Amino acid sequence: MHSQWNDFDQMFGAMDLLRNRMGRVNRLFTDFDRSWGLGRGWPSVDNWPRTNLYDANDQLQLVAAVPGLGKDDLNIKIQGNYLEISGTRKEKAPEGYTAHRVERGGETFFSRSFTLPVEINSTKVEAHLKDGILTLKLPKAETAQAKRITIS
Amino acid sequence: MSEKQEIVKRDEHSPALRQVPTVTPSVDIYENDDELLLYADMPGVAKDAIAINLENGRLTISAQRNIAAEGEVQFEEFGEVKYERAFSVPQGIDINKVKATMDNGVLNLHLPKSEAVKPRQIEVQTG
Repeated sequence: MHSQWNDFDQMFGAMDLLRNRMGRVNRLFTDFDRSWGLGRGWPSVDNWPRTNLYDANDQLQLVAAVPGLGKDDLNIKIQGNYLEISGTRKEKAPEGYTAHRVERGGETFFSRSFTLPVEINSTKVEAHLKDGILTLKLPKAETAQAKRITIS
Repeated sequence: MSEKQEIVKRDEHSPALRQVPTVTPSVDIYENDDELLLYADMPGVAKDAIAINLENGRLTISAQRNIAAEGEVQFEEFGEVKYERAFSVPQGIDINKVKATMDNGVLNLHLPKSEAVKPRQIEVQTG
């Protein structure tokens, strides 16, 4: 009788373990592109803004989602292969209104830094802001670009 | 037989096979005596790519975000999504005067109240 209980216990233990693992995987999927907020406010600073990085041979392209920020609210700093984006999202709670639902999290300062895989020619960097998406075009430094060697 | 052909015919890049995840945008909702005001974060959505529908007291917002980027992905934390969210709207909204604007990836939606439901100050008259 005792041993049977033990078996049950072990089985449930294994199931719990499995469920935890799956929970973690699921969370991974739902966190991707989940709108920040949903009652939790903005997640930790190093998670915002959501950012993508692409490598197009002669330049890197960094894309960040910064809804509600104007170009004067953003600061971008580059040195070698170190990139820092910081800014303040101003609270837009209108005056004289009562709030029914606040998920976007009022005024927030953020700062996020990246170590880029290569050195950047910081004089030729271009930055655009459109529809709340910041796009940085980061040309690679001369020394970081691949060179084709011809055999003489 | 026919089913077999169908499978073969399908192109790998046909739009039907590309799954775009659907997410809900974060919103703030405010109210004053004149209107309801809704802000929704939808970075990357152009103003033509958004559809707002108000029907039978149900407000639905749906939008598509496309990301244009070149090059090999180094890391990616967000991508193409479909934004979708629905709300119940109280009666007494003047549908004809609803106004929507996009401001740096944030939707501002003004839902003015109709005259009938606005609070009114009643003056006491001497008689």
